[in-house]
Amino acid sequence: MTSPIAALRNGAKGLLPWVVPIAILVVWELSAIFGWLSTRILPEPLAVLKAGWTLALSGELWTHIRVSAGRALAGFAIGGGLGLVLGLLTGSFRKVEVALDTTLQMIRNIPPLALIPLVILWFGIDEVAKLFLISFGVFFAVYINTFHGIRSVDPALIEMGRSYGLSGWPLYREVILPGALASILVGVRYALGFMWVILIVAETISAQAGIGYMTMNAREFLQTDVVLLGILLYALLGKLADVAARLLERRWLRWNGAYNAA
Amino acid sequence: MQVDNLELAQVEAVQSGSGGLAVEVSGLVKHFGERQVLHGLDLSIPAGEFVAIVGRSGCGKSTLLRQLAGLDTLSGGAIGFDGKARDTLGDQVRIMYQEARLLPWRTVIQNVALGLPGSRAQVRARAEEALAQVGLADRAEEWPSRLSGGQRQRVALARALIHRPRLLLLDEPLGALDALTRIEMQRLIEQIWRQHAFTALLVTHDVAEAVALADRILLIEEGRITFDEPVGLPRPREHGEACFAALESRVLKRLMTVEALNPRNQLRGRVTEIIIDKVLSEVVVMTPAGVVSAAVPTSALSEFPLELGTDVLAVFKSNDVVLATAD
Repeated sequence: MTSPIAALRNGAKGLLPWVVPIAILVVWELSAIFGWLSTRILPEPLAVLKAGWTLALSGELWTHIRVSAGRALAGFAIGGGLGLVLGLLTGSFRKVEVALDTTLQMIRNIPPLALIPLVILWFGIDEVAKLFLISFGVFFAVYINTFHGIRSVDPALIEMGRSYGLSGWPLYREVILPGALASILVGVRYALGFMWVILIVAETISAQAGIGYMTMNAREFLQTDVVLLGILLYALLGKLADVAARLLERRWLRWNGAYNAA
Repeated sequence: MQVDNLELAQVEAVQSGSGGLAVEVSGLVKHFGERQVLHGLDLSIPAGEFVAIVGRSGCGKSTLLRQLAGLDTLSGGAIGFDGKARDTLGDQVRIMYQEARLLPWRTVIQNVALGLPGSRAQVRARAEEALAQVGLADRAEEWPSRLSGGQRQRVALARALIHRPRLLLLDEPLGALDALTRIEMQRLIEQIWRQHAFTALLVTHDVAEAVALADRILLIEEGRITFDEPVGLPRPREHGEACFAALESRVLKRLMTVEALNPRNQLRGRVTEIIIDKVLSEVVVMTPAGVVSAAVPTSALSEFPLELGTDVLAVFKSNDVVLATAD
C-alpha cells in the first residue's frame, strides 16, 4: 500500500535519531586521525572497536559482561522483589502502612553510596556487599511506585467492583493490581536505570571480574580504549534494560492508548 | 397489544423467579458529618415498576440510590426488599453509574462477565448474549477505550443485566451522552426493562427522560419526596406527542416552583442592565448582597424576554459555587 517515497520517508524517520550520534563519531574519528585529540585523553572510535574485538575473541569480554549482568539482575531481583511485596502490603493494608512506612521513608533518604563504608565492614568486599548495595538502591524505586500505584487506583472502579460482587483476591486481581501496574512499571524502569549506576560504583570498590574490574584494570595500564569500551558497555546494557522494560509496558499496558504503538 | 406483551413478559419473568423486587423505604435518614442529606424519606415501589426521581443536584436523590445499592451505610430508617431486610437480597440489586466505570484493562466481554460465577464457557456464552442484547456483539474483543460514550454505557448496561438483577438502579447513566444517543439508550433501557420485568429506579436531571421512561415520577427536595405523580401515557412514548409535552411542562413547572421556594443558594434582585450579544448575553442583577452578573443564552432571552426593573431570582447550583480564601 505504501508508495516507495513514503517508505523512504519512514526509513528516514527511523534514522533521524541516529544522525547526531553518528556525526559525533565521525568528527571524533577525524579529530583523532588529524591528531587534534591525544589518544591519552580519548582514543579514536576505531581503537575502541578494535579493543572490543580483541577482548571478544579472547572470550574475556563475555566473562566480564556475564558477571556484571548476573550481579545486576540478582540485585535487581532481590531489591525489586522486596520492594514490590512491601509496596503491595503497605499500599493495601493501612495497618502495615502505619507500621512500616515511616521507617522505610527514613531509610529511603539515605543515599545507597553513603553506606559503602558500613557495607564493607559488614560484608567485606565480596559479592554480598555488591548485591546488598544494588538491592538497596533498587528497592525504593519499586517500593514507592508500587505503593503509589495501589493508592491511586480509581476509587470509583473499586466501588464498582465491590457492588458487582468482587472482594478479596478477585477484586485485587481484576481491579487493584491492573490499576497499579502502570505505576509499578515506572518504578521498574527507574530501578533498572539506577541498577547500573550502583553496579558501576560497586564494581569499582573491588572485584575480580566484571566490567568495572575490566575498566579499573585498564586504567592502571593506561588503556584508554578499554576504559572507553567499558563505559560504552554500561551504556549499552542500560539501554538494553530500558528496552526490556518498555517491551513489558507494551505487553502489559496494551489496553492503554499511550503505550499502544499501533 | 403492547400492554399484553408487557404483562406476558412479566408473568414469564415472575415464573422464572426473576421478576422485580418490591422496595419499601421508611424513615430513611442520612448524615454526612454535620450535614443531613435525607430527612426521614418514605418510599414504596411495587415490584416491576419503573420510577424516575428528578430534583436539583444536591437534593439527596443520588444518596438515596447509593443507600439502596448498599454503597453507603444508613444513618437511620430502614430499607426492605420483598418484605425482607436489604442485606439478604442485596446481590439482586445492580447499579449503573453516570460514568460507565468499565475496567480499561479488560476487553469489552471481560468487563461484561465481571464477577459472574460459573465455568468459563458458560460465563462467555452469557456475556455474549448480554452484549447481543445491547447490540454490541461485534465489539466483544475491543478495549473499552475504543468505544464511544454511548457504547460504553451499553456495555455497562450489559454488565448489569448479566446478573439478572431484580432491581436496577440508574444513577443518571445517560447524563453525559448527546441528545440522539440518549434517546436511543432510553429506548434500549425501556425495551430491556419490559423484557426482564425488573424494578427500575432512575435518577435524572432530564424531565423529558423521566416522562419518556417512568411509570411514576418523584421529586425529591431537601431530602424528602415532595411530588409523586403517576405517568399514564401508553408505551412506547414519543417525545413530540402533546400529552407527553404537557406532562413534561407540568413537572418542570413544579420543579421550578420548588426551586423558587428553596431559600438556599439564591438571591432576590432587580434587573439593572441587559447586554445583548450574539450567543451569550449578560444580565446584571442588583441584589441586597451586591451585583450579580448572569450569562444567559440569547436564545433563552428571546424566548422569555426580561425587562429592566423586573424582580428576578438569581439561583445557583450548590455544586457550582466555588469558595476561595479572601486574600
